[in-house]
Amino acid sequence: MPLNSPRHAAAPAGTRPATGAAPGPLPAAHTAPHGAPLPAAHTAPHPAPHPAPRQPLLRVEGLHKGFSVDGETIRVLHECSFAVGRGEVVAIVGQSGSGKSTLLNLLGLLDEADGGTHVFDGVDVTGLREHRRARLRGDRIGFVFQQFHLLERRTAVANVCVPMVLGGVPLLRRRAVARELLESVGLGHRLGSKPHQLSGGEQQRVALARALSRDPALILADEPTGALDAESSELIMNQLLRQASDRGAAVIVVTHDPAVAARADRSITIVEGYTRDG
Amino acid sequence: MLRSLVSGFILAAAGSRANVTRTILSCAGITIGVGALILIVTGGDVGERFAKSFAESNAGVAATYTVDVYDESGGTLEDLDALEADLRRAGAQAVSINSMSEAQMRIGEEEVEHAYTTVVDAELGDIRRITLASGRWFDDSDTHSLAPVMVVNEGLAKQIGGDGRLQVGIEGQWKTVRVVGVVEDSAMDGGSASAYLLRAPASAPLVFPDGAVPSTGTGFSVRADPEGADADAYRERLVTSASRWSSFDEDSISAYRIDPGDEINTVLTYLSLGLGGIALITLSTGMLGVLNVGLVTVRERRRELATYRALGATSFGLFIIVVTEAVVVSVVAGVVALLFCYTAVGIGGALVADYLPSDVGVYVPAQAVLVGLGSAALAGLLAGVIPAWRALRTSVVSGLRE
Ligand SMILES: Nc1ncnc2c1ncn2[C@@H]1O[C@H](COP(=O)(O)OP(=O)(O)OP(=O)(O)O)[C@@H](O)[C@H]1O
Ligand SMILES: [Mg+2]
Repeated sequence: MPLNSPRHAAAPAGTRPATGAAPGPLPAAHTAPHGAPLPAAHTAPHPAPHPAPRQPLLRVEGLHKGFSVDGETIRVLHECSFAVGRGEVVAIVGQSGSGKSTLLNLLGLLDEADGGTHVFDGVDVTGLREHRRARLRGDRIGFVFQQFHLLERRTAVANVCVPMVLGGVPLLRRRAVARELLESVGLGHRLGSKPHQLSGGEQQRVALARALSRDPALILADEPTGALDAESSELIMNQLLRQASDRGAAVIVVTHDPAVAARADRSITIVEGYTRDG
Repeated sequence: MLRSLVSGFILAAAGSRANVTRTILSCAGITIGVGALILIVTGGDVGERFAKSFAESNAGVAATYTVDVYDESGGTLEDLDALEADLRRAGAQAVSINSMSEAQMRIGEEEVEHAYTTVVDAELGDIRRITLASGRWFDDSDTHSLAPVMVVNEGLAKQIGGDGRLQVGIEGQWKTVRVVGVVEDSAMDGGSASAYLLRAPASAPLVFPDGAVPSTGTGFSVRADPEGADADAYRERLVTSASRWSSFDEDSISAYRIDPGDEINTVLTYLSLGLGGIALITLSTGMLGVLNVGLVTVRERRRELATYRALGATSFGLFIIVVTEAVVVSVVAGVVALLFCYTAVGIGGALVADYLPSDVGVYVPAQAVLVGLGSAALAGLLAGVIPAWRALRTSVVSGLRE
């Protein structure tokens, strides 16, 4: 099981302090005599090498999906074909209503395509039983929803813990991981807050922390920076990019923001139900 | 499987804690239903014990044969000792020949009004449940007492007071009584004064001046082995014995067997079936409450469940979450109901204590606790299954879109 991966314990110094699980050296900031500033988060001393060669984690071909509205079937996605490798960051762009969220739901195994090929992590997931799909969702995929979908009456920590509870991560460990992740998205001071006490951008960041909590192989983020200012947006993107570079996760980001798209390795555009590179 | 189970329990606990309103709302219905159920079982239990105590005090313990005589021809029981010996030969374990006495009682110079005296044998103590408020029941040595020996009821004891002198007599001949015990008033006394007078040489001339026991108000209580032979044959035997040693008309003698437990149980079974039905209806209403809350706060609920699924909960895990939550909620509600019932029964018991025999305590019996909590859990289970099933029927995406 990937749930106890060494990631959280062996995070680069300064970005995510070790939380007692690993006896690694304290981050420099904690030992510096004059309160020397933390090493800049994004200039980690040992940039992890890109996992090479990039094996495709995900491959779709001729994927299509429609919805029936009032007895009439409306095709939203006609043909989606692309592959995404491990450690790759892909931006999905397209007009509002073009089917970006619909595609993301298919990739996240939340919905089933009407046809086409969909291979994830070496498994053909078309027609896979719901039980197996649920397991894959929990163990291998992290989802940042456009509407966040946080549990309304639970604290930020409890929300981040849910996937780990479902994954059988022990109590103390999941608490530590949740705290660490929330700190890394700048919410270390809001651990006990409930979603309705948080701003949209803060909820967005809780949702991101939750998506990362099980160290997923695939991260799907639906406009993760939509509710954020430039600075927070930058922070989130850095987090996602680092997840790709350090952990080899494939990251797919739906965005309207050209600055965000520019930071991705490449873009896929949905036009009238067809995916196009660039 | 185990992972789903554990995570289901954890998330259910967190869910119940987080959704206090939902939890309380669900609780109310279950609490009322379970409370009603517990109170009914408790009431039935107290009633059963009271009825048993009442029957045993006034008629006899199980397998008591009672022989009644309604002879109007003026017959008398001529050889009491021979009858008793005969009954014992027939297998009687305890025999008491009881008769209403014509004797009067007085305290000082003042006659006790509306009092009645039953002449009995000491062995009546083995046949009926005698609940003593103080003192003791008759024993063998009392038979040799020179004074008539009595056990009086509380009403009479009160009239006698601390140092009053009780006398019993007939036709102006008074004899001072030795009172050895006080029995608790039973509902049958109706507050009036009554006394048991021990049949003994000292009392015989007083109460039966002619030397023979008259038929009026006479009866025998006989306790036989409950496993003993054919009850009908034994009844015949009792009637034959009674007529052999008396000049009673055989047709005026009737014998029957009493099993207070059995009769009361039949009555109580019907009663508790009826009341249990009412409780079940109440409980179902409570269950609908839980169901309602499970389904009515659906928008939020469905989204919550869909979120769990999106984050990797399997159908089984989701099922565990929802059902556990419902069961936990219901059992908590059941415990609340139990606490209410303990309080109510405590208060109620204190209020009725004066009207009940002291050996009939009012408390919540173990079976009421079992029935209450059991049905709470069951209600929760049933109420949880349906929302869980509904949540699983919709797709994750449409659940999230709620
Ligand atoms: N469950 C559904 N039933 C009917 N129509 C749906 C359903 N889900 C999506 N659609 C339709 O599919 C189209 C694409 O929706 P989708 O949410 O994927 O768009 P999007 O590209 O994410 O848009 P936005 O940028 O505004 O988020 C829309 O026209 C929408 O109305
Ligand atoms: Mg969208």
